[in-house]
Amino acid sequence: MAPTFSEMDSVLVSSIPLLFDKPKKGEVVVFEKYNRLYIKRIKKIKDGKYFLAGDNKKDSLDSRRFGSVKRSQIKGKVLFKL
Amino acid sequence: MKLTSIFNLLPSKIVYAHCDIPCGIYDPHQAQVAAHTIIRMTQMIGELNYDDNIESKRAFASQMARLTHVKEEHGHLVEDELGTLQNDYFKEEHFAKFTNLKELLEKATKLSVKTRQNIDMESAKELLETVMQIAEIFYKSKGLSPFRTKSPYPTEGEIVLHK
Repeated sequence: MAPTFSEMDSVLVSSIPLLFDKPKKGEVVVFEKYNRLYIKRIKKIKDGKYFLAGDNKKDSLDSRRFGSVKRSQIKGKVLFKL
Repeated sequence: MKLTSIFNLLPSKIVYAHCDIPCGIYDPHQAQVAAHTIIRMTQMIGELNYDDNIESKRAFASQMARLTHVKEEHGHLVEDELGTLQNDYFKEEHFAKFTNLKELLEKATKLSVKTRQNIDMESAKELLETVMQIAEIFYKSKGLSPFRTKSPYPTEGEIVLHK
């Protein structure tokens, strides 16, 4: 997630905003996939599927495969860096 | 008490920004196989029949449910695989060089949704054709030479490979 967040950064995440509104394009969220929690930015929402990507896009070969996640996998919105 | 100390009292968990391994592995092959599977499921649904007795009707309903489920699953697979290419692999320079790429990706997603919603052989074949065009662009972007060949699948359609 460089340059927005770096390794060992702490962020405040809340599920409360998601009770009132759907996650939106451009927001940074924490979601569950492969039994782990991940942090990514929502790049596109299509047919109820959320496509997420990191901010560090300088080398596409260094990107990772995520595919799409469902709304239920998104656990919280990143509010700010501590 | 400092504000950060208050935050330290909140429950914390580790979140990751990446998969376990930075693999760099992208390939349009799975999307092509999934598109072939959609054609095959559409064919098999069209061949289903039942006799005028309850056992036959139950067997028909069960098989229809299974085929539809697989068709649905592979539609999602096409959308996910292409979504990964679009969001993680293809960059601005690819879209600039291959000017129809964005349109092809959007078209493939729409066709995939259509094949999931309907029993529509025409859309299924058009989906495969669109996915193959994306595969050709992908291989070209890697400096490889794509070519079309007859697939070994019962759909008898083509598949894009590379030299």
